[in-house]
Amino acid sequence: MQKNWIIGSILLAATLEAGGYKIPEQSLDGMALGAAHIAHTTGADSAYYNPANMAFLDPKTRYLEGALNVVHLPSNDFDGVQIFPPSTVVPASASSEREWAAFPTMQYVHSAQGRWRWGVSLAAPAGMTKRWNSPVQKTFAEKFYLLTAELNPSLAYRVSDTFAVAAGLRLLYSEGEVNSDGVVNGIRIARQMKGDTVAAGYNLALAWHPGSGVEVGVTYRSKVKLNEEGEANLYLGGVGRQYHAKVSVPVPAALNVGVAKTFDDRLTVELVWERTFWSAYKTLDFRYDTPIPPALVPIFDDPKLKDWQDSDTFRLGLTYRWDERLTLMAGYAYDETPIPARTLSYELPDSDGHIFSAGFRYRQNEHLEWGLAVLYDHKTKRTIAPGENINGIVGSFDKGGAFLTTVGFAYRF
Amino acid sequence: MKKTRLYRIYFAVLATLVLAGCGGGVGAPENEPVQGGKVVVDFPADTLRQKLIEQKTPGVDANTTVFGYKAYKIVYETEDETGALVHASGLMVVPTDRGVRAEDARKLAYMRQKGFSLVSDSHGTIFADKEAPTAVAEATLAPAGSPILLSALAGFVTLQADYIGFGTSADRYHPYLLKHSSMEATVDFIHAARKFAKKNNIPLNSQLYLTGYSEGGYVALAALQELEQEENVTFAAPMAGPYMMDQMALGVVAQDKIPIPSFIADVAYSYALSYEHNVSELLREPYASEASTLFDGRYTRPQIDERLPKVTEELFTRSAIDGVLRQDPSYWFYGALQLNSTAYWAPKTPTRLLQCLGDDVIPYAMTAGTVNVMKNLFKAPDVEAVPVEVAYTGDSNTTLRLGHAACAGPAYLVVTRMMAEIRKKTIGY
Repeated sequence: MQKNWIIGSILLAATLEAGGYKIPEQSLDGMALGAAHIAHTTGADSAYYNPANMAFLDPKTRYLEGALNVVHLPSNDFDGVQIFPPSTVVPASASSEREWAAFPTMQYVHSAQGRWRWGVSLAAPAGMTKRWNSPVQKTFAEKFYLLTAELNPSLAYRVSDTFAVAAGLRLLYSEGEVNSDGVVNGIRIARQMKGDTVAAGYNLALAWHPGSGVEVGVTYRSKVKLNEEGEANLYLGGVGRQYHAKVSVPVPAALNVGVAKTFDDRLTVELVWERTFWSAYKTLDFRYDTPIPPALVPIFDDPKLKDWQDSDTFRLGLTYRWDERLTLMAGYAYDETPIPARTLSYELPDSDGHIFSAGFRYRQNEHLEWGLAVLYDHKTKRTIAPGENINGIVGSFDKGGAFLTTVGFAYRF
Repeated sequence: MKKTRLYRIYFAVLATLVLAGCGGGVGAPENEPVQGGKVVVDFPADTLRQKLIEQKTPGVDANTTVFGYKAYKIVYETEDETGALVHASGLMVVPTDRGVRAEDARKLAYMRQKGFSLVSDSHGTIFADKEAPTAVAEATLAPAGSPILLSALAGFVTLQADYIGFGTSADRYHPYLLKHSSMEATVDFIHAARKFAKKNNIPLNSQLYLTGYSEGGYVALAALQELEQEENVTFAAPMAGPYMMDQMALGVVAQDKIPIPSFIADVAYSYALSYEHNVSELLREPYASEASTLFDGRYTRPQIDERLPKVTEELFTRSAIDGVLRQDPSYWFYGALQLNSTAYWAPKTPTRLLQCLGDDVIPYAMTAGTVNVMKNLFKAPDVEAVPVEVAYTGDSNTTLRLGHAACAGPAYLVVTRMMAEIRKKTIGY
């Protein structure tokens, strides 16, 4: 119970403020700028956003940064019907449950050792949660969540005074839970599954500071395949049986290209293009140690087509140094959903998003800064026409999105 | 010092985060607790009716009474051929009101008031563990086989012993067509099921019906012989069983070819083990050596038949063939076949032996001969043969002929009807 609480309150990256289930906002500045934070990073969070920039931080200083992120996920509203094969049409208008969650992030950058410098970040790069208590939707997704915690040590090398590169190791712990519980053709069909896994990947980065206030950053984070493994209880009618089960979901690779320009040492404008390679998510395929009841195979065993598409996100970040103590930040991003209408499902009824963010940092003294950031992810209404969706969904998803609040500190010593 | 402390704090936090996630499983399934067994199927009537209609089950339509289907796995004690204790398992299927229509709920309430009649339905030959009644129920969580007819449609409580060698006792060899253990496994299961019913408020009346198909027909007749010594059996209807094992073996080895060698090979294997003889006295090599693998519960009949020859002299030793052909009771195998036959006695219980005239595995003559022996030699008062094709069509001149496998469905329909009629006359529903 205590473990579950810890997982829920610390690791829970239960956010959907970016397309799919990635979470790009991992620090105070990252949140305030809506992750338009690749080229111009000036603190410990360089370890996550662009570790090559660690090479350009003050070489004798160590940087530590931490943040607590509080997430509120409003309910998704669905207005429409559900079609069960072969042709049963059921009214299905309903709202998903509201969610609250919190997760911490931390970054550290050590002092330089010649041209080398290392740093480490603790992040939650992916996560999702969706709960439905309405009869139709809970048949498919009573509870669907994915939690991740990433330990990401990186090493930067300053090639020249204007150019640096970095590489890092991504170590992910992940936990997933899938519950569904409904009545199909008059009989109860339910699933309860929990699994976890540890997986690894890598990240690469470069930073180029050609002068005149211009900074360029490019980062690449590799795909990490999460092979969740655990126990699954499957129910048919009034009886359930336990199976050892596996399911694989990807944390997709992502390429970020950022360009920043600082004007008069006060205003920094950064543009970021992010390409997320969601096409790695082809199917959701649960596998079991022994054959499951034939009646449950089409629902719980046959691979579910996902066929997600690579997506683009365009970000704009503004940083304004008000005075020696106060820095103001704001951001906007347009975030494409990777999920085609054909395979959209209740577990993640995603749509394109407009992300607005703002925040500030306040320098308390020579060593300590603190700040606050807020982010609002507005999801556009999405309508699924008859015959368009292989999961039998016909109707419109509206609302949803996310509100995030981050309180953070930075310490230099 | 300060540096060291900071590192420690930082990595302690990371370690906490990583370790925190290790564990927290999903827990055991939340199934209905019962005393002395476990629920393995709990299926609603309306869904079952829909499936039966989709499968074009004869006599089932939207107006047919269908009850919910609840199956329990019960583990009980019995004994093998040597008298050694064995923990065996069986399936008990009970009609329920889950998903029933209002009028069927009223019928069921009346049946509960009067008590359910018990049918011991012994299953036919299987070779793989996964084919055992409890294994099928646990694997599918759904109704299967004759209990659909007997329990969900006719409202009997159905018992199917897995037999020794399957289910809970799958680590042992199956004493195939051996009378003592077949009878014990069935009778002990009936006793265990009655105790289970009492503990779990499943109302039973005093009626007991016995049936079974193929090996199950043989087992039902063996069980009847034992049960008659302790209670009045309401009605027995064994179907298509090899009751005269000596005659069956004689018929097989007298032929040059054996179309389905797995059956007789398993008889040879289990008889050799039970009577403590080498399998190689009956089966030729390499089949004698391979028998323990072929019959270890991993393989189905088609898989076993692929590995065995269909020529009699390639499968059996010359001495086994000659010993059976001589019909010499002093030859241990033939003597054992005679001893394990279930035909040579006179049941007091009203008994109908059902079989298809077109049976291609066990000739109809087996049933006709058994009835003849029981009536004329042992003076059984109420034993008759029932040709299934005739009873099924209601036409004594029918030209319909059904083989052993195809006959099972119609045979169960006929026997269910017969038992339901007796129940109606005696219990009132």
